[in-house]
Amino acid sequence: MKKSTLLVLPIIAAFAGLVAVQLDYVPALATTNGSVRLAMLESSDPPPDAQADGSYVVAQSGRAPKTQAPKPAAPAPGAATAPKVDETALRYFARQGDKRRLEAEIARLRALYPGWTPPADPTSVMPQADTALDAMWKLYAAGKLPELRKAIQERQTSEPGWKPPGDMLQLVELAESREQLINASDLKQYDTVIRIGSSHNSLLTCSDVDVLWRVAEAFAKTDRVARAKDAYGYILDNCTKPEERLATVQKALPLLSRADLDALLAREKTNTDGSKEFDSIRNDLARKAVADAGSDPKLAVSPADMNRVEKLANDIVEPSDPLILGWYYLRRNDPVSAEKWFRLSHDRENAASSSQGLALAMIAQSRPAEAEATIYEWRDSSDGAKAVYMAAVANLLAQDPPVEIAPAILQRMVPEVMKAKDANAAQQLGWYAYLLNQFETASGWFSTALLWKPDDEPSSYGLVLTREQLGDTTGVADIQRRWAGKSDRIERLGELRNTRQRGLVPSPERFGTDTSTESQPVTQPTTNPGAPATALPQDSSVVAANPLSTTLAPTLADRVAETIARTGAQPQNSQNQIEPVQSAPEPRRTGPPQQPTVNTGQRASRGCTTTIDPQTLSPGAALMRGWCLMDINRPLEAVAAFERGLLSRSEAAKSDAAYGQSLAYLRAGLADKAAVAASKARQKQSRQIELDTALLASRATDSFTAGRYNEALLALDQRARIAPERNDLMVLRGYAYLNLNRLSDAQRVFEAVAATGSKDGLRGMATVRAIRNKEY
Amino acid sequence: MRLYSFALAVLVALVWSNTSMAQTSAKAHIKPDDWQAYKSHFVDASGRVIDDANGKISHSESQGYGLFLAYLANSKADFDLIWSFTRTEFLLRDDGLAVWKWDPNSKPHVTDSNNASDGDILIAYALILAGSGWDRKDLTATAKTMIRAIGKTNVIEAQKQLLLLPGVTGFSATEREDGPVINLSYWIFEAFPKFAALDQATDWNRLGKDGLSLIDVARGGPRSLPADWISARTVLKPAKGFPPEFGYNALRIPLYMMRAGVTDRAQLEPLRHGMSPDGTNVAIVDIPSGAATETLTDPGYTIIPALVDCVLDKKKLPESVRSFQPTLYYPSTLHLLSLSFVYAQHPECL
Repeated sequence: MKKSTLLVLPIIAAFAGLVAVQLDYVPALATTNGSVRLAMLESSDPPPDAQADGSYVVAQSGRAPKTQAPKPAAPAPGAATAPKVDETALRYFARQGDKRRLEAEIARLRALYPGWTPPADPTSVMPQADTALDAMWKLYAAGKLPELRKAIQERQTSEPGWKPPGDMLQLVELAESREQLINASDLKQYDTVIRIGSSHNSLLTCSDVDVLWRVAEAFAKTDRVARAKDAYGYILDNCTKPEERLATVQKALPLLSRADLDALLAREKTNTDGSKEFDSIRNDLARKAVADAGSDPKLAVSPADMNRVEKLANDIVEPSDPLILGWYYLRRNDPVSAEKWFRLSHDRENAASSSQGLALAMIAQSRPAEAEATIYEWRDSSDGAKAVYMAAVANLLAQDPPVEIAPAILQRMVPEVMKAKDANAAQQLGWYAYLLNQFETASGWFSTALLWKPDDEPSSYGLVLTREQLGDTTGVADIQRRWAGKSDRIERLGELRNTRQRGLVPSPERFGTDTSTESQPVTQPTTNPGAPATALPQDSSVVAANPLSTTLAPTLADRVAETIARTGAQPQNSQNQIEPVQSAPEPRRTGPPQQPTVNTGQRASRGCTTTIDPQTLSPGAALMRGWCLMDINRPLEAVAAFERGLLSRSEAAKSDAAYGQSLAYLRAGLADKAAVAASKARQKQSRQIELDTALLASRATDSFTAGRYNEALLALDQRARIAPERNDLMVLRGYAYLNLNRLSDAQRVFEAVAATGSKDGLRGMATVRAIRNKEY
Repeated sequence: MRLYSFALAVLVALVWSNTSMAQTSAKAHIKPDDWQAYKSHFVDASGRVIDDANGKISHSESQGYGLFLAYLANSKADFDLIWSFTRTEFLLRDDGLAVWKWDPNSKPHVTDSNNASDGDILIAYALILAGSGWDRKDLTATAKTMIRAIGKTNVIEAQKQLLLLPGVTGFSATEREDGPVINLSYWIFEAFPKFAALDQATDWNRLGKDGLSLIDVARGGPRSLPADWISARTVLKPAKGFPPEFGYNALRIPLYMMRAGVTDRAQLEPLRHGMSPDGTNVAIVDIPSGAATETLTDPGYTIIPALVDCVLDKKKLPESVRSFQPTLYYPSTLHLLSLSFVYAQHPECL
């Protein structure tokens, strides 16, 4: 038998705060014949460091120290005096052919009595004639410890003077403690596990690795990771059975940090075929790292792990590894790579999970039709799959620009929406119908959505627009009443339009002018139309909880609204409209985000098309949102966002918010409010001038519209003092003079305008001329 | 007192004398045949004491009773048998106390790691008795650790009284609206003087004294009985979530009192009167109405009021309760505890 090293490992030595350990004995040496023992340092040995919790000492017998400085272990009591060794247990196990227990007993006796050598052939010894004792060993071997206790006591009572063989009581006690330790470990009573382990070093041997595992686990679970690491490391350094070594690292996997695990893995052996002992573990670790990072984007994955998993995914023809990679990339907003891996997994096995991932990757790449086709057959396999299907449906309907959906697809979507009672998808069906001018159908879908989600603002908005199209003024008023104070765009639908109309001055009818100027009352949304309409569900659990961001809806809703604003506002004026007055200057910002990110607290939504209560945002986020809303020409919502932005602690941000709010009011045609907003925070002089200029222009326009021409002129004069007069305002001034019958002044102004090549100027001159001709 | 009872025990031992008695020391207060009968019904080969009326589960209470009875029967072998099982299967908690329940039909057998303080007290008490009676220092050492843990985790002071919480988890003022909740039948009065001798961290004698006065205060309803489970938050009253009854728990209170040497008529008589409306059988009593919801005729129960008659008035025990026949685990246990008390201290009632 190979002579092996002797180790003394005080993993138990310093359990801070635990009960003092009473040792039956302190083994000096722990020789092995395949079993190695953890023994305890004597308390007189100072721990290697003050913490006394992290390190252990490896001592060697008969050889030079292997690693650290060896600590001489305490001599076993009586070791020097060649004690009488009780071999009854050993001989019993030998006779029974109980090899496992025989080995354990030899290891135990060797530890106890370093000078002792086991009998060459324990079975050759004549069996004792003591059948009662044999019966006791039999109970021991069967693990019937209470019965053995009872038998010992019974014999002591019936045979006064009889004593059990020397080690029998110690063996029973040890075996009982082992039971107790295992039961406590099963019950997660880790202090008990450590307490027993610490007072029974004989339990901690390679011949009973399970106990070592349990002690290691108890350390890890009670925040003594360093000691857990030592225990696992001890096994790897000393225990030889391959399956136990592998299991040791597997046990450590969930308990130790990656760095500690890597340190353990470094102790691996090389197999005879040249492969590494723990390759499979390294694979699992890499898989786990990538999988974890697939649910937490903040986790970084080492390139080595990434390469390993990608290689595994390619080499092993199974669906699971590519799936891990798919989720990883999806989580990291790389739907192209995600699709590649999901597709590989899907090709190997068309399963719900890979179909889900694939569909999500497609949705993220604005290919909802493919997503719908992919996930359709799995839609009922889980809540998550259902949610992904609904996301595909909603995105398909919400595509911008809209695409025609094959009747067969539409037909199979509808019952699914009904079954799932998915308010968002119903809303999208509403918009879809709306764009096809099927207002009755649209109204039905919006109402259905509201049935499933009564407080849904986008659906209410859809419904109010639809009712307006259907001429249902009572219905419109009804919704507006219900959303009063809760949704500006619903409540102020008509008002907004009126302001716009009011801005269209002067009245062509009155002056008989005709218009050829191309008007563009509504700015096109500047959000990226190519961006996916939905924020991507990050993993299946999120999908289940919240299948689809409401960001889906508004892109389309806005577009529809915008169309309405245009078509609804224009009929009276479209024939002869000019737009001499811009209601507000475009904000000139220094470095505004083109794609403001609004953090809704759940996920980032692209742009600001969602309907969010700005009160839920931070002032900073609200400010960004305000500008974003201005970009897509939703000034009244921007007003609210800027209002929130005004709460910012930074003076600059506050100033920015006041500026933005003022511009927003101006654009909405609410000059008075714009003036108030402008005063909410100190502005830089340049901005102040810009705002004043715009305010005065607005006031001039309003006064003119109201027929208060002198006031209009006053505002224009004030404005002219701080900024050069634009052509459109000069035209306004001309008409003001005209209305006040100051024809010469009008003439002069129109001439000046005409001199710039403006048709409006020429037209004004003609008007002056016509009036003069009439007069004269 | 000690000498007196010792002399009585010798007397009793002589009365029982038969062949099997030869090995039994004078300390045996349970007849060997009775113990044998009890064992064969309620103790299995592995040392598990089985509550056969409760799905054959075991609990720290049954193990504690088993150890206690084995000691009273002076059976070292059976004590070691039960102790080996108790130690390896019950003494698992981090705080050094026993888990309360062991179910043969679940795996692992222990699924709830909470304790029951009466089980812990019974185990520790039996360990003290065996440790000193049989000179077993290992048992005394374990008892000491347990006693300290019981005091530390289960004994609290509330409203100027020491209270015994029924378990570490689930009964305190922070865990229950009507907490602390107590169970007066968890006060095993005879154990406390022994605990006090081994552990000074808790005032065990005061715990016993306060317990006795709580029993008086807790009595209520037409039959003037204490409930099994009592809220001690303000004035004592039946705890929420438990039937407001004098039930299987509380009926052992007078036995524990008498075993601990209580002979005060003012304390014992109301209980004896309240628990036995017909003078013989024991009733489970709904406290608010005073109605008997169940009448118990098992000699293990009926011996308790008879024992009060014996202690207070030297009345002889009726024949029906003098001999032991195993019935169910709980009444049979109470029966042997009662008989051992009579043999040891009141042979005149036989």
